[in-house]
Amino acid sequence: MLGIVQKWADGLTRLSALIGTIGLLTEVVVILVDVVGRFFGHPLTGAQDISQMAMVVLVFGAMAMCDKVGGHISVDLFENSMPGWMVRTGDVISALLGAVIFLGLAWTTWDSAGLSKMLNLATNIIGLPKVYFQYFIIAAALITALGMILRAISLFLSPLPHHGYKEKA
Amino acid sequence: ETIKFAHWVPPAHTLTKSTIEPLQAAVEGSGLEIEVYPGGELGAGPLEQYVRVVQGVADIVWGLQGYTSSQFPKTMVSELPGALPEGMTGYDLIWNAYDAGLLAEEFPGTVPLALWLSEPNVFIMKDIDVRTPDDLQGLKIRVSGSAAAATVEALGATPVQMPAGEIYNSLQTGLIDGVITGASAIGDFKLDEVANSYTLNAPLGHISFYVVMNQAKYDSLPEAERAAIDSIAGRALSQSAEDGWNARAQQVIDEISATGDNTVYSLSADERAAFEAITHPVTDEIVSGGGYEDVLKTMQGM
Amino acid sequence: MSQEVIGLVGMAILFVLLGLRVPVAFAMFAVGFVGNWILNSPAAALSQLASDSFSLASSAELVVVPLFILMGNVATETGMSRKLYDAAYATIGSIRGGLASSTVIACGGFAALSGSSVASALTIGRVSLAEMDRFAYDNRLSTGVVAAGGTLGILIPPSTGFVIYALLTQESIGRLFLAGVLPGLLLLGMFILTITILTWWKPAYGPAGPKTTMSEKGRAMVGAMPILLVILLTIGGIYGGFFSPVEAAAVGAGLVILFGAAMRRLSFAMLWKAAKDSVVTTATVMLILISAYMIKTFLALSHIPQALGGFLETLAVPTLGVLAIMLAIYLILGLFLEGFAMMVLSMPIFFPVVQQLGIDPIWFGVLVVLTLEMGLISPPVGLNVFIVKSVAPGVPLSRIFWGVVPFWIAMLITLIVLVLFPQISLLLPNTMIG
Ligand code: NA
Ligand code: NA
Repeated sequence: MLGIVQKWADGLTRLSALIGTIGLLTEVVVILVDVVGRFFGHPLTGAQDISQMAMVVLVFGAMAMCDKVGGHISVDLFENSMPGWMVRTGDVISALLGAVIFLGLAWTTWDSAGLSKMLNLATNIIGLPKVYFQYFIIAAALITALGMILRAISLFLSPLPHHGYKEKA
Repeated sequence: ETIKFAHWVPPAHTLTKSTIEPLQAAVEGSGLEIEVYPGGELGAGPLEQYVRVVQGVADIVWGLQGYTSSQFPKTMVSELPGALPEGMTGYDLIWNAYDAGLLAEEFPGTVPLALWLSEPNVFIMKDIDVRTPDDLQGLKIRVSGSAAAATVEALGATPVQMPAGEIYNSLQTGLIDGVITGASAIGDFKLDEVANSYTLNAPLGHISFYVVMNQAKYDSLPEAERAAIDSIAGRALSQSAEDGWNARAQQVIDEISATGDNTVYSLSADERAAFEAITHPVTDEIVSGGGYEDVLKTMQGM
Repeated sequence: MSQEVIGLVGMAILFVLLGLRVPVAFAMFAVGFVGNWILNSPAAALSQLASDSFSLASSAELVVVPLFILMGNVATETGMSRKLYDAAYATIGSIRGGLASSTVIACGGFAALSGSSVASALTIGRVSLAEMDRFAYDNRLSTGVVAAGGTLGILIPPSTGFVIYALLTQESIGRLFLAGVLPGLLLLGMFILTITILTWWKPAYGPAGPKTTMSEKGRAMVGAMPILLVILLTIGGIYGGFFSPVEAAAVGAGLVILFGAAMRRLSFAMLWKAAKDSVVTTATVMLILISAYMIKTFLALSHIPQALGGFLETLAVPTLGVLAIMLAIYLILGLFLEGFAMMVLSMPIFFPVVQQLGIDPIWFGVLVVLTLEMGLISPPVGLNVFIVKSVAPGVPLSRIFWGVVPFWIAMLITLIVLVLFPQISLLLPNTMIG
């Protein structure tokens, strides 16, 4: 059961990161087209709108992958003087705390997305609706939270010592 | 009770003296106290100000309609070149429409305490004196919204979109040739250090502002405190704000005129007309395209 | 509990969470969120989570972060970084610590095209860390150099730090930029001096390479031409008015991709991998930045800055004493806060004191920016250290923090020198603007 969920979570994480990567390449292309176009007197209308929204997509799209590869930075100053159970406790707390943060982000962004619809919020020049990008944040945050919950469970089930967040040196 | 007023500019900004202090003075003694959080302390950036007040991060916020223009299509009509008739104030223009019930849907969940217009927009240029629309051909001009972009394009220049914080550097390196905005921005963003030619009295429209209060918070206040707010909310506070903006603009214009190394020029009526022939049709197109003829007429008191 | 006490308790909890190895961003999110919940309201805390996440992730200024990372990644994948360091090694590799000194100079150069310390540390870090590894440099030295050298980004113009200071205090941006030049060069020199002393004391930190002939030097230089050309075109494009510093990041990334493809050193698969790595690093960096804003609001609501301001006004000590205390407060705040958040919170309260005492505001701006730089590398919340960690995941954070210690001391000495000799800061603005 857990294995199947894990497989799905991994797939979603990769998909999310793929969308984020496309977001980055979009940002590069859009800014370059704008710069070159402006030189010839024809800037790309809404280039800033697109690059800003692409940024939203790439930041949150990569979030689950970032967590999966242990990309979040923690302070390891006292790690060597800690007993194994304390390291483990810290890891479980971190994973659960992360899950709570991203579930909270999904929840509150859902609320905020409703408001964006009510206020008809969109980017200023070409009117990209804000609500779609908020939906993307919600999906990405849920995938991130799922990955964290799964790690908390597997940490809990595995024998000591286990370094959930320790970098792969 | 203490309520929170949030904005994102420094405490020394015109906003404090022209708007916040009169509001604080009006509620003094009523039991209500207004605590100010400047510089974006309650949240990053100007774009989310309205969202913040609706969701209760702050009880009162200041903001520009132009940053989220899709929320304020009708209020934004007041910004367009030619919308404000000679001799009328900007806040009357907006409140006429608000009092007629035409703008309420653009301010859901809040009570507008002040709505007003900035001083007229001017050309802020580096090394280029603008006297006729011809002088603008092919120049790169920074704009912030789609209506301003349409105006700039009609004038034959290339609209460039960039964050306000980048204007200074961009004028300095020549990435842009100029900016269209209110004269007070010359002081706020230190543009006088990099620009050197200013053209006033061009028909370039204005910028609109709001101060709004969370509706639920307003409703929850005791009678006396609400009455204290009501005593200044509306045209009175808006007038104070608009007067403050205009005074600040005049002060900046006096300052840049006094330095001697700037060209400050006010277009004559004939010169202005040449620009109007181009910018007013853009306004007409936006107004009729959105179906805002009634809004504009009501604003102008017609 | 008073607001101030809640603020202090929050900072203590932040310490504990960080000590438990909770990821930095999570710890700051948690403390900021709960703090805003208590001092404002649950609805406000939730709303801020959504709005700060969205506004920072869509910030027009922060668009540079993934672009510079991509530029660094592609430069590394295609071997351009390697060629650059081969050239540096052939030129001054025979001097102990020579590569570290070249990296500091590269940081200074990058500072001339970027106003942000984060961008400097990210790009230079990505390009240089593996290279210094290759030449057997101790990773405490190499990471320390990049973390500290990266902070030059806000002292050498253009500088986001000076722009924010100018807008908060209504001082001249032009004067501040000029005022940053000599202190920036002084600090750069101090960093090189630090490297020289360190490697003289412990040669293994930055071992000297073999002597090279003129033709070897020349060949290495030719190999580095592509990346040098990219840097030259990018800087030239900014000062020539072709694009903004933000757009320069995209142009730089575009040029390394173009050169890499033209030299047949970059396949689509490599580009895709570089882009994927870049978005993951961006996620790390952006999450920390967003969480730093949650802490900023919490501290604003706690009124700790006001309490400190009130304390300053009661002091009966000479001007220089007040100045020293203010700078000390900045150094302490710098332990917890991201630099710009610190400036936004403190300036409305401290600046009136500065004016009242007749302290030159331009000089003060330079001193404040230097203390912000020190905050960027001081534990536990040292943004630039986290940045370096994000591009050098294999190096333990504690090693990086140890690595920055000598540079932090160099900055402290520079700060004292700048306090004692205001003319170092004021010479250029006073002679060139008057
Ligand atoms: Na810089
Ligand atoms: Na710090």
